Amino acid sequence: MTAVDGISFEIDRGEIVGIVGESGSGKTMTALSLLRLIPEPGRITGGRILYGEKDIAQMTDEEIREFRGNEVAMIFQDPMTSLNPVLRVGFQVEEAMAAHARFTRQQSRDRVLPMLQRVRIPAAKERVRDYPHQFSGGMRQRAMIAMGVSNEPSLLIADEPTTALDVTVQASIIELLRDLSRELRASVILITHNMALVASLCNRVIVMYAGRIVEEGPTRAIFKNPQHPYTWSLLRSMPRVDEVEKERLISIKGLPPDLGRMPPGCKFHPRCKFKVDRCLTEEPPLGEVDPGQLARCWVLMKNIQNPEAEAQR
Amino acid sequence: MRGTLLYIGQRLVLIAITTVLVSSIVFVLLHQIPGNAFLNETRTSPESLAADLRHYGLDKPLGTQYVNWVSGVLHGNLGESLVNRGVMITPLLVREASVSATVGFFALLVTVGLGLILGVIAALRQNTWADYVASSAAVVGYSVPSFVIGIFFLLIFGHYFFEWTQGTVFYNVGWGDWTQIPVPAIALGLPYASYVARLTRASMLETIRTDYVRTAWAKGLKARIVVLRHALRNALIPVVTILGPLITGIITGSVVIENIFGIPGLGKEFVTSILARDYNIVIGVFTFYAALVGLANLTVDVIYPALDPRIRY
Repeated sequence: MTAVDGISFEIDRGEIVGIVGESGSGKTMTALSLLRLIPEPGRITGGRILYGEKDIAQMTDEEIREFRGNEVAMIFQDPMTSLNPVLRVGFQVEEAMAAHARFTRQQSRDRVLPMLQRVRIPAAKERVRDYPHQFSGGMRQRAMIAMGVSNEPSLLIADEPTTALDVTVQASIIELLRDLSRELRASVILITHNMALVASLCNRVIVMYAGRIVEEGPTRAIFKNPQHPYTWSLLRSMPRVDEVEKERLISIKGLPPDLGRMPPGCKFHPRCKFKVDRCLTEEPPLGEVDPGQLARCWVLMKNIQNPEAEAQR
Repeated sequence: MRGTLLYIGQRLVLIAITTVLVSSIVFVLLHQIPGNAFLNETRTSPESLAADLRHYGLDKPLGTQYVNWVSGVLHGNLGESLVNRGVMITPLLVREASVSATVGFFALLVTVGLGLILGVIAALRQNTWADYVASSAAVVGYSVPSFVIGIFFLLIFGHYFFEWTQGTVFYNVGWGDWTQIPVPAIALGLPYASYVARLTRASMLETIRTDYVRTAWAKGLKARIVVLRHALRNALIPVVTILGPLITGIITGSVVIENIFGIPGLGKEFVTSILARDYNIVIGVFTFYAALVGLANLTVDVIYPALDPRIRY
């Protein structure tokens, strides 16, 4: 079974890239493969993951260990279960630094408190020796972020960092991520299905569907001028504050395909309103539809004018 | 800390109540068993029997006897043996308890040590030959009762080893030499070791798939640290929970094992004294066992919070 196929993207230093898509579209698998953390029995069967000149897929066990958390750090979705319940929060942060050669043992110990203060944990000094269960959800996520940025990585992967949190806490966590990425000049991959988050934070957006990239481009372009029918539906399924006319929100009919029974041709065609014959048999390539904007759709490529699409726009 | 002391205090009171209950029930039941310690062929006159009964206070009503016994216990005196006149029970039981404790301690080492090692290996090598061997051995180990294992060991180490090595390396039944410890200790610990192994395996399989273990990998920690500090540390919690019943099992198991291997411990005394209707010893051993089981469980509960900080008394 193939969960993620033919994903290809680049991230520049300091860039914030959003990966969006429904649950099961392969966002998390893509991110985990960057750290070679795909759960058993999953494997990377082919392709290259280049970090600078190095291919992550080809690294030895020791190389990948030194790489994880040091060059690329990951923040997980659920802070309630992502911290070890039997170890002190401060220790878990210290451990992340002690695992790598960047800091000495003493430096690692000394940096714990400043790191917790940097992620704005209130009364950090008193809370260093707390256990995770004594922290609130938001504070746990801050501790996770402290752990992630403690080695000053050049890429931070945040996998739905706010999904499990209170709405009131979400904004402050996002703000924290943005500030830290700026201070550390780190790139960020933000995995989310929250389009509002993407709009406010990301420079570039990658839209995934059924393990494939279906559209990619600058945030502004994607929101102003979505090309792929999936992106378009995704945006139309969200309420907008700035919309003057009252429009019905649409839901995308049907479900994403089962990994074991992928449809032939374009993976989105069973749910697509604009499909043509070719969509049923042949999978479209990712083609440039506008400068810097790519989409995987036959309809766009052949430039067929779909009356319904015209009318909707 | 104060809460812990209060908790321990409460538990000690409960153990004391249990002990009193057990001793009084045993006291009543014991006297219902047909026969007594003074029935033998050397007895010549009814006068001497009456003298014996008077000597031990057995001519008094049952209630008075129990009160006398309890007041003796409160002074640390468990009375005198009915069969061997002049032998005081308190020093006898202390001596036998130290023998049983030695066997029990090594059996516990076998149980926990072997159980943990096999369980961890089976979990880390899930669905490989190592897992199958360890898991199958565990099933056999806890299916076979300890008296079968005991007799089997006796045959192998006592008999066949003697033949194969011309009498140089073999297990000699009895007690007194440290080389006589391992065989009964392993026979006693093996069934429980299998139980611990199965529990550890299941528990490890659960923890190595948790989010916090994934976090530990993502931090770039060494495999050894991830397994021991993050996975095993949490997997131990349910294992420690069953340590109480396990110690109880080893205590009761020692009754069988000590009789098979001719070890002069409490377990052997337990059987011998019942058969001889040596009332004072039987009730002494029973009461001692009751207190021991209570204290073992209390000890486990007290060390529990050290392993899981979420638990406080």
